[in-house]
Amino acid sequence: MGYSSGIITLLAINCIASLGVSLFTGFTGIYTLGHAGYMVIGAYTAAILTVQFNLHFVLAILAGGLLAMVCAYLIGLPTLKLAGDYYTIASLGLGEAIRLIIENWESVTRGARGYPGIDNYTTLPVVLAFFLVMTFGMFYLVNSRYGRAFKACRDDYVAASLLGFNTAHCRVLSLAVSGFYCGVAGALLAGFISFIQPVMFDMAKSTELVSVVVLGGLGSMSGCLIGTAILTLVTELFRPISKYRMLIYGLVLVLVMILRPEGLMGTNELTPDYLKKHFGSGKKTAKEGE
Amino acid sequence: MLDIVQQIINGLSLGSVYALIAVGYSLVYSILLFSNFAHGGFLVIGGYICYYALMSYGAGIWTASFAAVLGAGFSAILVERFAYRPIRERTPVTLYLLIASMGMSIVIENLFVVTIGGRFRALPPVLPMQPVSVFGFATTSAFDILSLVVSVISLVALQLFLNRTKWGLAIRAASCNLRTASLMGVNVNRLIAIVFFVAGLFAAVGGIFLSARYTLYPQLGSTITTKAFVAAVIGGLGSLPGAVAGSLILGLAEMLTAGFVSSQFRDLVVFFLLIVTLIIRPSGLFGKAVSEKV
Repeated sequence: MGYSSGIITLLAINCIASLGVSLFTGFTGIYTLGHAGYMVIGAYTAAILTVQFNLHFVLAILAGGLLAMVCAYLIGLPTLKLAGDYYTIASLGLGEAIRLIIENWESVTRGARGYPGIDNYTTLPVVLAFFLVMTFGMFYLVNSRYGRAFKACRDDYVAASLLGFNTAHCRVLSLAVSGFYCGVAGALLAGFISFIQPVMFDMAKSTELVSVVVLGGLGSMSGCLIGTAILTLVTELFRPISKYRMLIYGLVLVLVMILRPEGLMGTNELTPDYLKKHFGSGKKTAKEGE
Repeated sequence: MLDIVQQIINGLSLGSVYALIAVGYSLVYSILLFSNFAHGGFLVIGGYICYYALMSYGAGIWTASFAAVLGAGFSAILVERFAYRPIRERTPVTLYLLIASMGMSIVIENLFVVTIGGRFRALPPVLPMQPVSVFGFATTSAFDILSLVVSVISLVALQLFLNRTKWGLAIRAASCNLRTASLMGVNVNRLIAIVFFVAGLFAAVGGIFLSARYTLYPQLGSTITTKAFVAAVIGGLGSLPGAVAGSLILGLAEMLTAGFVSSQFRDLVVFFLLIVTLIIRPSGLFGKAVSEKV
């Protein structure tokens, strides 16, 4: 695989994961620091199924996503009762716990040394197909009834429950769907680099997932794709001065919070109307309220 | 039997070092209501100042520790001034502070990686490490006893500061309600600077002990703060006695697991305790009830 197609593949994988986090953090309004945990579930499931059971890779990827989804659902039921920062903290612990379990479960996962010899099934067409289907799915979801329910939970939790939304259900559902996206992204990542290690999915990865969503704009799916693109490309472009890469990344995060905490896109989607409003001459289209 | 006593002493000693870090963490949380992920950075700053004072300037351990503690305190003030205050003044949303603090923790960590490299460094043998017998029926190291004693003294001093001084009163008032405290004539910016300074001081003391116990490296902060942070949550975020109790529980759990089960499960036990606490009693042992009805 060439260099540029490698970058595109990586970009698409990162986008799928951050779409999931964007649904949960940007649209349902709950911060998470543990979504790398769902990626590691997806990655190991797909790896084990393809290597040891010779399952077809598409099924293995879906199985990885589904297992991550089930785990997210089961984890969400008790923990999403927690408010605000407390869930964020719990998610940090849960994400690390999942990683540590996989690291210590040597008979199945080969432990901290990593899992080698995964088929290189994530080719460019495969990843683009997954990316397109999942992006359309996500845009459809956030514009559907469920999407509106999620946004209602985010904007005013009490009002939403008084209006008859089942807010507890919304939160758990949102987490499950975002777990599915992260699981699929993890499974694709396993097929892309054909060697996975638990340490690749530590807290730094979870932080990165939230960061791109915040950078792009909470409550904007296109913003999260832009944020992911910027961060992935910057990471690649700064490869020659890789020493400073993380330093710049941290500074960008702090500066965005200081200068533009709502992120690059705010809650706007990149639609023709939005472009016309900001870059065109006409000011006739009023922004639709979120 | 002897083993148990020994592990308990080790656990208390480790727990008391966690407590130093956790109280700083809890102090910041009680005033600003956000989890300061950059807290571990202050610990690493303190550790490196101490290391360089000892190695390059040949300072004694007391001078070096003093410099480390002050340096960490002032860097905490700087971080607050340049990263958090602009956000604080613009918006009441504490989640932006949370993200900024994640960014700051990455910045501090990588400043060290870029300037002096990510290599592991061992502090020179300035702290006593020889084995000491405890009342004749268990042995532990002088270092464990020393860190236990220093932590207890520091925590008592903090308690006195909070209970006996005017600024202590202001901090306690602000932890009830920052806005009302400011209406009552408390200079909020100075108060927050003091809180960060104290948090930095304590983190640096913890940092010196931890870098002597393990080794010093730029990522030390994030691994250890995660644990101090878990301890603060177990005890109840924003509660100082809670932070101490949580740290001791965590230190004991970690050492007993490492001693009697397997040192591989140390970290797993930490997160297991966190999750169990959050599910059974989300506000922690000493915290105020915060759970929403879902």
